[in-house]
Amino acid sequence: MFGEHWVFWYAISNSYSIIEPEFKLLLESYLESYTKAEFLDTISSHMNVSDGTLISETLFNYLKDSNKPYTLPNETSVVLDTSLRNISKQYTFEGKTIQIYYDSELVLKTVHPTLAYYCIESTNATLATFDIYLKNNDLFLFKDEHLISRVSKHKYHLIQGKFIMQLLCTLHDKEESDWIGTFHGSTITNGSSSILFVGESGKGKSTLCALLAANGFDLLADDVSPMLSKDKHIYYNPSAISIKEGAFNLLQPLVTNFESLPIIKFNKTKGDIKYIPCLRPEEDHYPCNAIILVNYKPKSKIKLEQVSVKTILETIIPDSWLSPNPKHAQQFLDWLTELKMYQLTYSDTKNVLAEISKLFKQLNSKF
Amino acid sequence: MKKNNNLDKITRKEAIQKMGKYAALTAVGTFVILNPLKAQSSSPPDPGGDPFA
Repeated sequence: MFGEHWVFWYAISNSYSIIEPEFKLLLESYLESYTKAEFLDTISSHMNVSDGTLISETLFNYLKDSNKPYTLPNETSVVLDTSLRNISKQYTFEGKTIQIYYDSELVLKTVHPTLAYYCIESTNATLATFDIYLKNNDLFLFKDEHLISRVSKHKYHLIQGKFIMQLLCTLHDKEESDWIGTFHGSTITNGSSSILFVGESGKGKSTLCALLAANGFDLLADDVSPMLSKDKHIYYNPSAISIKEGAFNLLQPLVTNFESLPIIKFNKTKGDIKYIPCLRPEEDHYPCNAIILVNYKPKSKIKLEQVSVKTILETIIPDSWLSPNPKHAQQFLDWLTELKMYQLTYSDTKNVLAEISKLFKQLNSKF
Repeated sequence: MKKNNNLDKITRKEAIQKMGKYAALTAVGTFVILNPLKAQSSSPPDPGGDPFA
């Protein structure tokens, strides 16, 4: 139970539901009843049959929706087409080198810009070889010649997500089954713990993280923040911070060499993008003690306020991958019980830095 | 054990009756079901911004 809410996890569907105590009471009574008549008898001494039936049907539909089986599409076996290895790039992360082959400049733009700062020709042995190509309107991702993912080209963000997952597995020497999930959000560390920043696209989470990274904090992960089962820590994701055109003027005076960063044109509505490389934190992983829902609002006064688990879960769950493994779901719920949850409304950069520094100090004194 | 269940049931029935008709009808509509993504993803494209269109 979190404040006024209960959070339930349904194993069969890997779905989470947030309910209030009154709903739980009705649900328990419904499940306890052997027949519909028995349930109606429990609830309807003070209401008519049609109201009772409405409650009963709503609970039935809730349970039906919560128990839809979790299924993944069957991947058919596909043989790697090496004739599409038109572009070859190597990337080195602290002595660990990977090889990626792309079929075209357009496909290269799905992954390369965010890792461009690691693109160095190396004589190191490669830890993994990836192939990413477009064939018959589908995007393919292979790792060491095994198909990892095949999606329609319009769902290229799934190839990006899968690639990042595989890159994290390679760099941290893990399997996909070792992770609790990958949160859609950016994580900042002060060298002791970390804070996960979440929010809708355009609400300023990457901009805020770029600001923090330019002012004494370290970026642990941008956009995809992975949590490992072994220690429930957020792990380092080497992707650079992606900054949309709307934030260029704000960051230009604050980020060293911002002007010289190349402009990437890929997604038409997102407009021009710049990728800011950040220094690697001292450690590969940090505990995450707080989550902040970012809400950039021009001319607003800074406000950091606690929010409910409902607000936070409604933001993160639909945009995050969470493992269906019951152990991982339990760990995710355990983590939530220890987590501080806030919403940050801000417009001014100086005040926001002071507020986040203060919060880190408070969190570190508690944990 | 059964006795305890029955006691729970009675308490629950009393609690539901205390809640009243309107509170019960309101409460039953307050749940939220959230489904995580079935595969890892980066930020999805905004509508109309698909570079592969």
